[in-house]
Amino acid sequence: MDGLLVAHGLNISFEIVVLALVSLGLAITLGLLGVLNLAHGEFVMIGAFSAFFVQSQGWPYLAAFPVAILACGAIGWPVEKFLIRPLYARPFDAILATWGLSLLLREMVEFFFGRGFNSVAQPIKGTVNILGADYPAFQIVVMLAAIALIATIVFWFLRSVTGRRIQAMVDNPDLAKAVGIPVDALARNTFVAGLCLAGISGVLLAPIVAVHPSMGIDYVLKSFFVLVVGGLGHILGLVIGSGVIGGAEATVSAIIDRTSGYSFVLILSLLFLWRRPNGLVAR
Amino acid sequence: MVWLLANATFAGAGLFLLQFVVDDFIAYTLALYFLYAIACLGVGLSWGQAGLLSLGQGLFVGVGAYLSGLSLIAFSDQWFLYPLLISCCMVPGALGFGIGQLIFRGRTLNGAYFALITLGLVLLASLIATSWNSVTGGFNGLLGVPGLPGLDGFEHAYVIAASALFVAILMVAWLLATPLGVLWRAVAEDERRVAYLGFDPNLLKSVALGLSGLLGGLAGVLYAPINNLVTPDLFGFALSTNFIIWAAIGGRATVYGPVLGAVGIGLLTVQLRETIDYWEIILAMIFMGTVLYFKWGLLGYVEPFIKQLLIRSTAPLTTAPPRNPTGVGTLDIKGLELQVGQVRILNDLSLSIDAPGIYCLIGPNGAGKTTAFNAMTGELSAQSGQMSIMQSVVARPDARTLAQQGMGRKFQVPCVFDALSISENLSLALWTARIDRPALLGFEALQWTSVIRQELERRFPFLTERSRLVRDLSHGQRQVLDLAIVLCTEPRLILLDEPCAGLSKAETQDVIDTVQWAAASLGATAIIIEHDMALVKALADKVFVLHQGHLLAEGTVAEIQGNEKVKTVYGGGSK
Repeated sequence: MDGLLVAHGLNISFEIVVLALVSLGLAITLGLLGVLNLAHGEFVMIGAFSAFFVQSQGWPYLAAFPVAILACGAIGWPVEKFLIRPLYARPFDAILATWGLSLLLREMVEFFFGRGFNSVAQPIKGTVNILGADYPAFQIVVMLAAIALIATIVFWFLRSVTGRRIQAMVDNPDLAKAVGIPVDALARNTFVAGLCLAGISGVLLAPIVAVHPSMGIDYVLKSFFVLVVGGLGHILGLVIGSGVIGGAEATVSAIIDRTSGYSFVLILSLLFLWRRPNGLVAR
Repeated sequence: MVWLLANATFAGAGLFLLQFVVDDFIAYTLALYFLYAIACLGVGLSWGQAGLLSLGQGLFVGVGAYLSGLSLIAFSDQWFLYPLLISCCMVPGALGFGIGQLIFRGRTLNGAYFALITLGLVLLASLIATSWNSVTGGFNGLLGVPGLPGLDGFEHAYVIAASALFVAILMVAWLLATPLGVLWRAVAEDERRVAYLGFDPNLLKSVALGLSGLLGGLAGVLYAPINNLVTPDLFGFALSTNFIIWAAIGGRATVYGPVLGAVGIGLLTVQLRETIDYWEIILAMIFMGTVLYFKWGLLGYVEPFIKQLLIRSTAPLTTAPPRNPTGVGTLDIKGLELQVGQVRILNDLSLSIDAPGIYCLIGPNGAGKTTAFNAMTGELSAQSGQMSIMQSVVARPDARTLAQQGMGRKFQVPCVFDALSISENLSLALWTARIDRPALLGFEALQWTSVIRQELERRFPFLTERSRLVRDLSHGQRQVLDLAIVLCTEPRLILLDEPCAGLSKAETQDVIDTVQWAAASLGATAIIIEHDMALVKALADKVFVLHQGHLLAEGTVAEIQGNEKVKTVYGGGSK
């Protein structure tokens, strides 16, 4: 088989898997809590900066995961308490507030790390040969890790007691409260978990992309497109949405250029909002 | 009018005098922020009035600036330069209107989604601007844009920008005071209700976005010659975010809020950015605090007050032009089937009304009464069956068209516009199918009254408190106001869903009398969903009993009370 074609295929798969991972965090906050968190991408950025920070301290790459989770948790907890919780009933204002939050986080990171572009060294060097294509080993590891993470979370959500409680809360918060589910704490944990997931995605992405304070916007927008196309109802929607958005963008970008790839995805999402506002896999 | 003159004086004097107290450099900086203020006024218009949060106002500024920059570079000494520049302002306006039509047409779009789409669009524009080197100059942008001919970019910057801002302020102050402004605020609050008054919410929103684009475009068109440079930064999300922040903190729903925000915070940023490293962080926190606790911004709590003081003078009321609804209050439903998911709600429903009068629709919970209304007004679409409403066959009912033809509907929960005054609520109803486009931009229609309205005001004196805000009314008053809105549209077919729910005994009696009087004096058909049999007895010329989505019985109150089938259903049996 043609090595170049395989490499393209792997690149596209990589885009899709990463997109699915980033979107999962947004899907959790939007689908389960009804909050469209525009600062979602900034938590990916914070994860990436955790990796950068860990590297600059000379610590091993793996240390970036706890650092990112700590950072996202430490920011996410007060954010949920003071910013998001008063706005669960005002979803429109929540957008504004999280837009403000995204600005705040960007400015804060800029304050500490500067405005410039940073790079994180790949912890696993070298390439592996897959069907005649030499592909970076680290990217393969990232893909596998992302798939494993998504599968674990989905499995846990569907099988665990906490997963059931979350579903009950989403369905009817008042009734859930009445039967003794600690709705406030559950909502907070769900929200923070979604943010930590974004942070973990950031750590995984850091060695592959340029790390800078404004990197988050792209991710939040693309994740949003994924949810528009895939719908919020089902994990299948997330996978399909990522496939459509990630695949379409990577393919069109490879054939024509980045602008066309982005325009294509934007137009696609508009068409979906127009004709199928509930996405491919409706709730 | 008084309001407009006051604005002209205030804005004109302020902008004129300001130039004498600042030095040249600050004057030039001010000029740039005046341009931002113009674009920010656009944000105030679309977001503060029509409720459309656009995260991409920079799109319009950028398009205007690039078009103007290119025009100035190519045709600097041509006679048609000024007409060309004017059309450069129009393009972003048309773009805004077009985007609105495209996005809003399909279905009612969630406000959050709209915000993200605009963000997506501005990022797309930024990509195009940075990659289309041959036209836009790529990352560096358009360099060496000449100033406006005959005017010096630096020296005259203040005069140019201040004049444009003056015009923009007047335009916004004028629009906000017209019926169009009232309609925008109504759309922001309850789109569906606006459609039930016969207006097209999507068109109204598109117009708001178009005007917002026009203002953004004007700012951009002047930005190019004053700055002598156009860069892709205009399309950056940072600038668009600033517009939102400025409008929010200044007061998005006011005329001067966006101006104060843009110029005040903008200048403060210029001053403080150098001395306080974390100024941007503070600003972001102020913004979040505003969203949480101070929703209407600095001027949001001041300007309405001043406005009220100024327009205290009660302009004389004028009689609205007569309304001639085309419809006659008839209804003919045949074999209507409606299923939602697995639940069949309407089951071969047939029902016919061929003369004006008062009809009551009764039946146990879940009988399909409200669903029947929803099918008639297009809230839900029936799978099969035929409907003929007001003598015309309706294949796909649409609330707006039906309202124009003479149908009015009152929902079970009172749907009134909280943020508007009592008078504005009633005026909206008087405008239904009466106001034409020029009148939407004038002031006369704000003073309209009608025989029906005067009678309603006599029956319910609180309706004469014209400037009182509806959010301060009690539940009973809101129910009455909602009914008054429906009746002021002078409908021929009135659908009322439990109009007396939650009312006291005295209020109920007043409402019954009013419905009877209105149906008689309008020659209208009223169909009332009601549970209270005492009410049904007092009101109904004829009663329809629904059961499990089917017409069980019809007849006078006495006939229904003697009907065995009806007794069984209400007695607890299922058949």
